[in-house]
Amino acid sequence: MLSLDALPERQGHVTSKAHFVPEQFQCERATLPGVISSRACVLYGARWVLAPVREVLHLIHGPVGCAYYSSQVRGKNYPVYSTALKEEDVVFGGQQKLRRAIGEALRLQPAARGVLVYTTCAAGLIGEDVETVCREASLQFGRPVVPVNCPGFGGKSQGTGHDVAARVLLEHFIARGPAGPVLENTLNILGEFDVQGDLQEIEQLLSELGLNVLCAVSGRAAVENLALARRAALNIVHCRRTGELLARLLEERYGISYLKGSFFGIAETAKTLKAVGRFFNREDACGHIEEKVAETWRRVAPYLPQLAGKRVAMFFGASRIGSMARAFQELGMEIVFAGAQCGSREDYREAGRCIAGGDTLLVDDASVQELGEFLRRCRPHLMVGGTREKFLAHKLGIPYLVFPQQNTPYAGFNGFVNLAREAAATINAPVWQMLRPARPPDLVILSARRWAGAGPGRRPSSSLSGREGPGAACIPPDPPFG
Amino acid sequence: MSVKESPVKEIPVEGITYDQIKIEKIPATPAYIPRDARLIPAENRAVVINPGYTCMPLGAMLAVLGVRRAIPFVQGAQGCTTYVRYTFCRIFKEPAAIATASFHEDAAVFGGRRNVVEGIRNLVVRYWPEVIGVVTTCSSEIIGDDMVSFLKMARKRLRDEIGAEKEEAVAIVLINTPSFAGSHVEGYNRAARAFLETLATRRTRPNKKINIIPGLVYPGDIREIKHLLQEMEIVGTVLFDIADTLDAPLHPPQSLPYYPPGGTTLEEIREMANAAATFALQPEAGGAGARFLERRFGLPAVVGPMPVGVAATDAFVQALARFTGRGVPQSLLDERGRLVDAMADTFHHTMMKRVAVFGDPDTALGLTRFVCELGMTPVAVAAGTPTRTFGRAAQAIFAEYQHLFLDQPKIFNGGDLFEFEEYLKTLKRLDLIIGHSKGKDIAGELDVPLVRAGFPVYDRFGYQKKPIVGYRGAELLLYDIVNAILDYRYPDDRTQQL
Repeated sequence: MLSLDALPERQGHVTSKAHFVPEQFQCERATLPGVISSRACVLYGARWVLAPVREVLHLIHGPVGCAYYSSQVRGKNYPVYSTALKEEDVVFGGQQKLRRAIGEALRLQPAARGVLVYTTCAAGLIGEDVETVCREASLQFGRPVVPVNCPGFGGKSQGTGHDVAARVLLEHFIARGPAGPVLENTLNILGEFDVQGDLQEIEQLLSELGLNVLCAVSGRAAVENLALARRAALNIVHCRRTGELLARLLEERYGISYLKGSFFGIAETAKTLKAVGRFFNREDACGHIEEKVAETWRRVAPYLPQLAGKRVAMFFGASRIGSMARAFQELGMEIVFAGAQCGSREDYREAGRCIAGGDTLLVDDASVQELGEFLRRCRPHLMVGGTREKFLAHKLGIPYLVFPQQNTPYAGFNGFVNLAREAAATINAPVWQMLRPARPPDLVILSARRWAGAGPGRRPSSSLSGREGPGAACIPPDPPFG
Repeated sequence: MSVKESPVKEIPVEGITYDQIKIEKIPATPAYIPRDARLIPAENRAVVINPGYTCMPLGAMLAVLGVRRAIPFVQGAQGCTTYVRYTFCRIFKEPAAIATASFHEDAAVFGGRRNVVEGIRNLVVRYWPEVIGVVTTCSSEIIGDDMVSFLKMARKRLRDEIGAEKEEAVAIVLINTPSFAGSHVEGYNRAARAFLETLATRRTRPNKKINIIPGLVYPGDIREIKHLLQEMEIVGTVLFDIADTLDAPLHPPQSLPYYPPGGTTLEEIREMANAAATFALQPEAGGAGARFLERRFGLPAVVGPMPVGVAATDAFVQALARFTGRGVPQSLLDERGRLVDAMADTFHHTMMKRVAVFGDPDTALGLTRFVCELGMTPVAVAAGTPTRTFGRAAQAIFAEYQHLFLDQPKIFNGGDLFEFEEYLKTLKRLDLIIGHSKGKDIAGELDVPLVRAGFPVYDRFGYQKKPIVGYRGAELLLYDIVNAILDYRYPDDRTQQL
């Protein structure tokens, strides 16, 4: 029995591509209590966007755990300040403590250019007036002390936190920048976090068009960058969930137009670059892009035979499903499962447009149990997603690639080659051939034949290309669905 | 072509912008501004900077994951679950199943009754756990959720839906862990007490078994403890046995829902009331469980010290011998002999090395005693979580080894990593830091090696399998320490002479 039957509320969150009607698909709902979901809280969402903002102090007003956990964002360590609320603070109120904490933090870090004060569940529930404290502290210290109103329960998912963060960045950092004429040939990238050097790849491509990146939210978001952001000529929205709201607000307020684009995948990268080129009237650069495309295809060619026809399952945060689906399909792979933790209707609509196969499962806010069942049903050769699902997939015998990535940039043309190389390496990793001990007679015959036929330099992977990939081999046949 | 092949002769300093140099961390304050000395000690501040400890629910969730087919149910917002799952995944490299009550605005306004009643129902019909550890958070405690009556309602709902027999097969243990009232160490402590209070309720047929509550340790440590028991031919029960649940082999195909192998069974926990004695290896994490059994059934409770190093392991082994009447076998004496031999062989590397130790209180004390045994000079020892006894216990260790060093080491009972770091910066010389992964940046800043031990280690592989307890664990830790010293070039002594 599929566990969906036990929870009829979840039926609308799961569909196959063939039956996908964007308007009827259930998403942006609160997670059911009692499931093991990968969604996170509003504070998590706010930290996801704001943690890389440099030169300001990040003060978390809540119990110590919130500060402890949110010091790690995308696997990177950031210094945090906290009021570490204790029992007496919860009973008598923590505002006085917060006021002191802001002052002390600024005395210890006199060069800090501002303080971000994050609220948490505890601070929200005891009714702390964080805004007033922050306003007074701003006046007292002559620096922005900014409330980030993100109590963990304050939204359905981390997505609310992304929105809170976007408004904070606009009101307190971008809007404080001096007004001025539009800077020629400049742009911002919104929703780009510079994971493993993605931003450098993108910047390199844009600089070939003669364009400069003023600010990346928040891969390069020092106070100076943010202050300049309002004078850019264009905004690129790289991740819809974290960038689109800010782009809309910037358009409303400063008239900066924006375009949505992706730098994952060859076609997407080329398309985005051309669109940007058109905007800046640099169509002459298009030929050079085509050259790059051709060169990239040459570079990924060695990996394509290993990837062709392989099934991929994807489980991401929200907005990358569509663009990553295109990227994997360009590699000749088939998307069998696509899910997001907190995707919006627009994200799923885009995913529906991008995914080719009709049998592909689309799942919103998949729980651990559902993931297990769907993985068994889809039998992917590779799963791509965050760290939390990695170890479950491994236990089920499925090779796993972490995205946001852990080793090399995946964005841009070079990034695409990295993606192809790492996907191929992960699928063909020798470990997936070793899940069960080989029967001794086979081993003897096999090795005798192999060593007789080929020199030591021969690649063993070529012998794999003809048969079922390792991921599929170790998963038992489908249980009946429904 | 020639440019590519020729090695770079000079570092081109000119023309590189700040942005292009790969710098992970840009200090907000230029180093030459001296800090306000009065604000360095944590007790003088309201602000906590880089805390080295987290809040209670994490400890309780770790405990629940050590029970067979058990799932923690967290009565709080989704972050309380997801952040902890993420933390466990990073430490243990294992899936960690933790269910969320999914608190949202409605729960904040109307209370969390619906979340408990529906959540327990959904969890049971979906995952069929044998044990549910209900872990509260700051949110539910501030709202004032009456968890006892909520759980009664949840049980009634379950009974109506799946029948009394299946409903009774699920044990529910409530662990009250308001985040603001203590650290993860206390969370584990409360979980130990809650499990025993709820399940080990009757002493029917006393037996000769020994209860072990290991505290916040790793699977490797638990395996080492089991090894000691096995060598002494003692039958023991480890409460919260994460040895297999958080270090499971890869054996596909797995049945779904995925439950890791191992863990303490419900029956074993019930049987703990019948045992001969309880050993809590970490007084602060698990001591409450041992004391409960002592109060309730008169079971002797041996609370600490954590068996790290020679003397503490000796004490543990001797106490085991005393309560079971078993002798210490030659095999353990041999292990001890190998450890002592290794200590003698490496002494010229460890002697007089100035070392700073930090971690959870009991781990920090165990490590401190061990570095003293190695002839090292502790210069600072910090417990992330303040306790009543830490200062005294550390003093006692130093008094024992006072002849080895001239200055009194600094003791931090509580405090944050910022204070610890600032203190270490004032020292003239420091050779080594021993502690968990949160100290990585401190070690980097001070340019000294960090030997990883304690909870949590998430930035290295294998540490969760490597014991530090017992004779063999101490030997492995000793080699880590010595090799860290050897890998690191000291300008002023003879460490390169093997």
